[in-house]
This record gives sequence, C-alpha cells and structure tokens, in this order.
Amino acid sequence: MPRVAIEDGYFTIPDDPGEAPRLLGSRCPACGEHFFPRRMVCAKCLHEGCDDVLLGPTGRLYTWTFVHVPLFAKKDGSVDAYGVGQVDLPEGPRIQAILVGGPDDFEIGMELMLDLETLRTNSRGDDVVIYRFRPPTTNVSERPRPVAGPERSQTLGGQP
Amino acid sequence: MRIDGAAIAGIGMVRFGSHRDRSTSELARDAGLAALHDAGITLADVDEAFVGYIQPAAMIGIKAMKELGLTGLPVTHIENASATGLVAFREAAWAVASGRAEVAMAIAFDKMTDMARGSANSRGTGRDQLDSTILPAAYFALWAQRRMHDHGTKPEHFAAIAAKNWNHGALNPFSHRQPDHTVTVEEVLASRMVSSPLTAMMACPADDGAACVIVASTEWVKRHQPDRRLVRPIASALQSEAYSPGHTFLGPVVGPATMTATTARLAYEDAGLGPDDMHLALCHDAFANEELEYYELLGFCGEGEGEKLLEAGDTALGGRIPFNTDGGLIARGHPGGPTGLAMVHEIVVQLRGEAGARQVEGARRGLAHLVGGGSVCTVNLFESE
Repeated sequence: MPRVAIEDGYFTIPDDPGEAPRLLGSRCPACGEHFFPRRMVCAKCLHEGCDDVLLGPTGRLYTWTFVHVPLFAKKDGSVDAYGVGQVDLPEGPRIQAILVGGPDDFEIGMELMLDLETLRTNSRGDDVVIYRFRPPTTNVSERPRPVAGPERSQTLGGQP
Repeated sequence: MRIDGAAIAGIGMVRFGSHRDRSTSELARDAGLAALHDAGITLADVDEAFVGYIQPAAMIGIKAMKELGLTGLPVTHIENASATGLVAFREAAWAVASGRAEVAMAIAFDKMTDMARGSANSRGTGRDQLDSTILPAAYFALWAQRRMHDHGTKPEHFAAIAAKNWNHGALNPFSHRQPDHTVTVEEVLASRMVSSPLTAMMACPADDGAACVIVASTEWVKRHQPDRRLVRPIASALQSEAYSPGHTFLGPVVGPATMTATTARLAYEDAGLGPDDMHLALCHDAFANEELEYYELLGFCGEGEGEKLLEAGDTALGGRIPFNTDGGLIARGHPGGPTGLAMVHEIVVQLRGEAGARQVEGARRGLAHLVGGGSVCTVNLFESE
C-alpha cells in the first residue's frame, strides 16, 4: 500500500519498507550548525541560505516519558498510552517525537532508530505515516501497539 | 526594564474554575469592576487598557472592554501564551511609567475548559498537526525525567511541591482548589498517572476565569489612597528563547531552562536587587517539577540544591522564601491569560498585609514569574513602602 506523509517536507519515505527514513534538515554553510525542521535563516549565526541535508536515522535518548492519557482527553480508541522522547541526533538537533515501546522500555542514553508509523488510511487508500523513534532491536513489521493505561483522564490542564 | 513612578491602584479577579454558563465578557466585566471598585474609580478615569487572552478569536478583547463602558480609551490586545497576563501588566505599568497614561488597566480572561474540549476535534493542519500530536503534560514530564536522571530527584519531591501548593490553596478564598483536608505526598503520588513521573494532582486544572490590575502614577495612588500601603512594580523583564545547541524547534516544548535564569537576572539587575531581597515568589507551576527547577533558575539556591530547599520547608508558608502562596497554578488555577494577573493580585494582597491566614510575615517584596508556550519568559518584581 502506498505511504504518504502526514505533512510534506519533514521526512523521507523510502520505497523499501525495511529501510529507515531520514529527517529533512538544514545545515548552515557559514557556521556548520544543523537544524530540524528545514529553515532558511541560520538560528545561530543568522546567515541567510541554509543547505538541505538528510539527518538521522539514529540518535540517543536524551529524556523520555510515558503518557497514560490521550491528547486532552481525546476520544480516540486506538491510542490509550504512548511513549514520548527527545532524541539527540549525531548532527546536533534534538528531536521530540513519539517513541515505540511500553512504559518500561526506555532508558536515557539508549540508541534509537528513526521509523515510520501508520496513523490512518486516507480516502485514496494510502497509509498516512509520521516519524517516530524505536529501539533498534524492535521488529519493524511486528511492532506492538502501545499498551493501555490504567484509566483515562478527564482533567488535564497545562498550557505549556 | 526598571519601572519608576508607577504603583498599583486596584486589583480584582473572578475565582478560577469551571464557568460553563458564563461568557468571557461577563467574567472580564466582573474582574474589571472589582478592580475599578478597589481603585475607587470608573472606566472614565482609565487612560489606556491592555487586554490579554489566549483563546484565538479576533477582537473579543475589545468586546469584553465594552461591558465596562464605552469611553473611547485606547485598547491593545496582548497574547503571549501562559505569560499573557503578566505581559499585559508589564505594558500597563510601562504606559504609566513612560508618562503616556496616568491610569492604565491590564485585564485578561480565558475559558480553558472550552479550549480543552475543542482541541479534541481540531488538531490543526500542516505543521500544527505535527506540533499537536503530543499532550502538553508530556513536555514537562520529559523535563522531570531528565532531572531525576541528573540529580537523583524522586517523584516524592514533585509530590511534596504539589501537596504544598494544594494546601496553600486551602487558605485562599480565590483558589480554585480548596481541599478540606491536609493533602499529603502519598495522596498526590497515588492519584492517576498522567505522564510518568507526573500524576494528576501534580498538574494544574483546566480553568475559566478573569483578573484585572489597575496601575497609576505613584502620585495619583498616594493622592487617592492615602491610607493604604503603597505597592509598586519596580522591574519587569521579558525574554524569548536564545539559540543554544540541542534546541528543539518542532513541537511546543518547555523551552531552554536558561531562559528563566536570563530573564530573572535582567529583572534583578534593573531593580538593583537579588533573590535574597525577596520575601515571596510566584512561578509557573503548571506541573510540580517546574517549581523545583525555578527555585534554582530564579536564583534562590544553586543548581541541584532545589530538593534541599524544599526539604527544609523554605518554600512553604512560614519558610524563608514561600513559593506560590496562593496555591499557584496547581491549586489557584490556570485559565491562561488571567493567570499572571492573579499572580499580581496575590503579591499585592501580600504586600498590603491583607492575606489573612496565608500572610507572609513582614512581606515587602515579591516576584512573579511566568513562561509562555516554552518560548517566552517574564519576571516582575514588586515592592511595598
């Protein structure tokens, strides 16, 4: 089944499903800093005109959490709980993303691999995918859904 | 920036909570009238107004202002995420300090319960869709997990801060959460896990509410309120993120911790004061672990020493530097825009010596801190005569 990105311009979708995707990033030709997502003006030295580069697909877990409630008490039966992490790429950027795995699967400093997860099927029958990170040992084709949390939350404030 | 020649003329707020049957305009009207009454004036005496809210509907600020009267005064809308209220206050204080206005109003309102309900169906499009796939609680939990890794912090520390703020809320008539018993660390830890290690009782509620602060020239306040203890804003600093390696661009993140440290330093420098000169502090405790970080970033102890400060009871009422004496975002509540003006409300009540059971003895100076959207930070210092 064809795969399409939830939003163009952020990651690659390899033709071979066994191949890891890459993130679409930028590199400043003046100071060498890398960024994700792509940007025109360098955030560090303000040079105008960053170069397109591919980032990843590996990184190290800087920090993580396991979320036991859906988004703002969202009524989406398919996801009750999920891991979230910040992953440091070797090039420098720190990427915030959903993690594949259960509540006891993560440890700060562990190596993770970029991966694509199907969110839904669109009207043309394409799989709509988003990037996530997974432990390198996880079998790509047999990933378990995140396990269900104990209860759903009905409150849950927190404007960041 | 240093603020000279401005003082607080009036304060008012609507107790935060669920106000499903009331419009934002009504909430704003009641907070505005309370502040005008506290100042002993009507809208005719106000030269300029700054209206803050997060809820994204164009011009609802000016519509709310009309509930207080139509006098032709200049009205400016302000939105800086969770920092909105304090930034509206900063503009009102600066309007007076600059001499452009003799009396200025900062007013803010929001219905976060509407936003919480609405977001279930509207996750945005394009980049917003990527930004909104993760629950806000997760961002703060990521920070908490890293702290546990770096400093050996325990969930009990976060729970102790939450319990303290719930119990402070019990002493504040304007607090949303007013527990009828002493909240314990065990009770906080046993509440529902939201995003490990943060439990539901470590998080602020979703609130509706409004608050208003009226600022006037020091001469005006002394002339109109000769028998009241004068409370003055003395410095206000506002910063956005400065780039540092490892910056996370995509997703509404907590923002670099250094942003609070930088903003606080600027405020202290402008006032010619330091953390030791403060008698109470209010900070952005949407989640309990934030308060622990801000003990250090606001300069009240060294890095990695926040747990000791907490364990000594220094940040509870009766301690050396009580934090979130009104219950903080966790208990008093966090509607969004009005939150910062509720902080000013509490500092003014404390510095006037009118805080009753939660009065900080001899309080003469206070600090109010907020971050917004992980992208802005403001620190404001106040002093009484």
